Amino acid sequence: MTASALFNTSVMGMSAQTTALSAVAENISNSSTVGYKEATTQFQTLLTSFQGGSDADGGVSASNVVEVTKSGNMTSTTSSTDLAIQGDGFFVVSDTGGNTFLTRAGSFLPDSTGRLVNSAGYYLMGYSSSVASAPTDPSGLEAVTIPYGKEIGTASTEGSLTANLPSTADTINAADLPSANASTSTYSKKTSVTAYDNLGNPVTLDVYFSKTSSNSWEMSVFDASTATNGGFPYSSGAITTQSLTFSATDGSITGGASASIAVPNGSTLSLDLSGLTQLGSTFSVSNPTINGNAASPVSSVSIAKDGTLSYVLGNGKSVSAYKIPLGTVASPTNLQAQSGNTFAVTKESGAAYLGDANSGTMGAIGSDQLEGSTVDLATQLSNMIVAQRSFSANSQVFQVASELMQVLNNLK
Amino acid sequence: MSLTNAGAIANQSLGTIAAQINVVSRNIAGVNVSGYATKTALVSTTSNGGTQINGVARATNAALFQNSLQASATQAAASALSSGFDQIDQALGLSSGTATNTSTNRSPAALLSALQSALQSYSASPSDTTVAQTVLSSAKAVAQALNTASTTVQQLRAQADGEIATSVANINSILTQFQQVNTEVVAGTQAGRDVTSALDQRDALLKSLSSEIGVTTVTRANNDMVIYADGGATLFETSPRSVTFQASASYTASTTGNAVYVDGVPVTGASASMPLQSGKLQGLTQLRDVVAPQYQSQLDETARGLIASFAETDQSGLGGSVPGLFTYSGATSVPGASVIPGLAGDIIVNPNADPSQGGNLDRLRDGGISDPTNSAYVYNTTGAAGFTDRINQLVASFSTAQSFDSSAGLGSSQSLMDYATSSLGWFEAQRQQATDTESYQSTLLSQTTDALSNSSGVNLDEQMSKMLDLENSYQASAKLISAIDAMYTALFQAL
Repeated sequence: MTASALFNTSVMGMSAQTTALSAVAENISNSSTVGYKEATTQFQTLLTSFQGGSDADGGVSASNVVEVTKSGNMTSTTSSTDLAIQGDGFFVVSDTGGNTFLTRAGSFLPDSTGRLVNSAGYYLMGYSSSVASAPTDPSGLEAVTIPYGKEIGTASTEGSLTANLPSTADTINAADLPSANASTSTYSKKTSVTAYDNLGNPVTLDVYFSKTSSNSWEMSVFDASTATNGGFPYSSGAITTQSLTFSATDGSITGGASASIAVPNGSTLSLDLSGLTQLGSTFSVSNPTINGNAASPVSSVSIAKDGTLSYVLGNGKSVSAYKIPLGTVASPTNLQAQSGNTFAVTKESGAAYLGDANSGTMGAIGSDQLEGSTVDLATQLSNMIVAQRSFSANSQVFQVASELMQVLNNLK
Repeated sequence: MSLTNAGAIANQSLGTIAAQINVVSRNIAGVNVSGYATKTALVSTTSNGGTQINGVARATNAALFQNSLQASATQAAASALSSGFDQIDQALGLSSGTATNTSTNRSPAALLSALQSALQSYSASPSDTTVAQTVLSSAKAVAQALNTASTTVQQLRAQADGEIATSVANINSILTQFQQVNTEVVAGTQAGRDVTSALDQRDALLKSLSSEIGVTTVTRANNDMVIYADGGATLFETSPRSVTFQASASYTASTTGNAVYVDGVPVTGASASMPLQSGKLQGLTQLRDVVAPQYQSQLDETARGLIASFAETDQSGLGGSVPGLFTYSGATSVPGASVIPGLAGDIIVNPNADPSQGGNLDRLRDGGISDPTNSAYVYNTTGAAGFTDRINQLVASFSTAQSFDSSAGLGSSQSLMDYATSSLGWFEAQRQQATDTESYQSTLLSQTTDALSNSSGVNLDEQMSKMLDLENSYQASAKLISAIDAMYTALFQAL
């Protein structure tokens, strides 16, 4: 090694430590940035020549690497659109130009048009929960848009009714059954349930149960709004009339366990009656459930672990609207870090692919949470001390080399 | 594990403790609030080892709450019935004196007994007009007592009818409020908000609803509640069902009160297919439709028995019997043994025997009260001042068995005196039963309420000790933050 090479080596050393310091500076300044991944410095030797085992002029080079796969601490927030991923995977986001990126910074808020945008200006991507098959790559996604204030109503399509019909009830004459819809019509028991039509109007359905003979009943459903002073006759006949038969041995339903009811101005409601029993007890309805909801404005959203985004309406109903998939690549460490805590796909990382959150290798999406920076301040400060001392040592070497050169120059 | 993480955990801890102390403070504020259920902050560990608040839970005991609803409904029914009995009792002074003291005891039985002894005295001195006057005034007192009793019973029915209308209006207004609170609970539950206060409010509404009408409840997904009347009719499902009732303006013995309808189903009255089991509404309809009409029938039968006992027969044997001393407007003959609705209100003393109305007192002794111009009904044909046959006949008629309508509930054959006494006995027995039931149900209600309050109410000692624990944890977390700060300072000094 020549004396002049000493200059080179020590300058390379100082330059490498500067790189390390720059990583420390970046880390410290981003110690509170949501979704920030710590940069670490990797040093490697750099040799100018190598001759038969004897050391040649050597040096060092340093490069900063972002630790993409390390995850930060979760912090709780109070916004349901603050999202964090517990486990592997990235949110797929796009910039205004339509280029897609991956990120773990999930502090999304709706913009003026309802699109969910994070603090760096990237839009969250998802797909409508009504699509037949889930897209597998980011090109099939759209920006998640929440139509705050928009009225949404859903027609009822299915429901169930669980009740006990008293076996001791009196038999109703065939001519007086509710299905005859006459002013003399009578019944054994009655209940009523609320269904919704296509426009989200609530429709109250009067459900009459009449015992026709031992272990046989008739169920008739009427639109309550057509009743005369709350009773028979209804201005329009029964929507559905169905015979029900019950087992004589255990009182369970044996015939007519499912009814289909054409809700006025609505869809066909398939009512599951398999929970009906006919026992020697009183009439009691234990679980009436019917889906659908009254028209009501979207007031907030809820996001489930598997990425299902539902609109929560003013009346409390929730309507599933979007699915937020997670994206990842074969080699996440080779992703290229971009401004705004996003990562771009590179040749080395492999192409991005999608998967459902909370399934397979993908992590779960947590609502009301944010992933903090992975930086630990104490570690950075100690790294900084080490880098500073190392830099000083290199400058000492440079000074010694300079003195050696001076001695050489004075030899003449 | 890093200093930053340690700091973050300590920081989260401060927030968690602040939220917990907030819950403790709510509990302490609610310690004397009836129906307030203890709240607990749900704390869990986060992925970095810290803590977070997941929500606020509310201490509940569904079975006890359901029991307390049932107890309050049964108590309300018993109380409505018992206060109705008390009202008749007070108006007639039935239990305020002994059976013989007619100055305070104005029951038909006591006054009949007084009339009987007046007649007995008259029989001893049939020529004494002062004694005859006592007989007349005793007879008037009996007629008046029956009139008053009849009026009181009908007033009570009219009053019960009015209270039913108020109760129905109350139920409708509670159901409307219930819808608002229920919507808030459902919306809040879906959005993951703290709905515990709304749940407290909803339970309080259910409590006041259950004292009006017996209810059963079903809770669906997202805390959505469905209410049924205890007979099975739907009261609330997503929206309130209408509860309707047409009040009757006035009541006579033959008036039948209208039924209460819930969701189009009659729940009271004879035609109810899904009848109510409990609640104030049930107690009031029981009073209006069953108890009061039955007592009215007994009064009517007493009045009819009285008219029959004092009836005059045609001495020539040609004509039939006609009402004598006791009669009623439009009377032509003595009515047979079946209830004539409202007879007790119509019964009067025949003016032909009343000197103040142009009558003659001697007719009490001689007969011919029914028609002074028709000599066929005069018993004392000679006009003898010592004639006692008719008086003795009347005295005997009090204890002679006669036919009564069994639909009034007191058998079909007994003497007038016995009938009046059994009617009083029936009333007192019913009243006693209602009072006993009411006091039993009140005790049960207060026990159930206590049990519920013990299981879900606030225990102040527990809250205070929790507060001390939280205070210690808070101090420890704050100390931790200052320790971390000291460590950073050491690091900065090393630079």
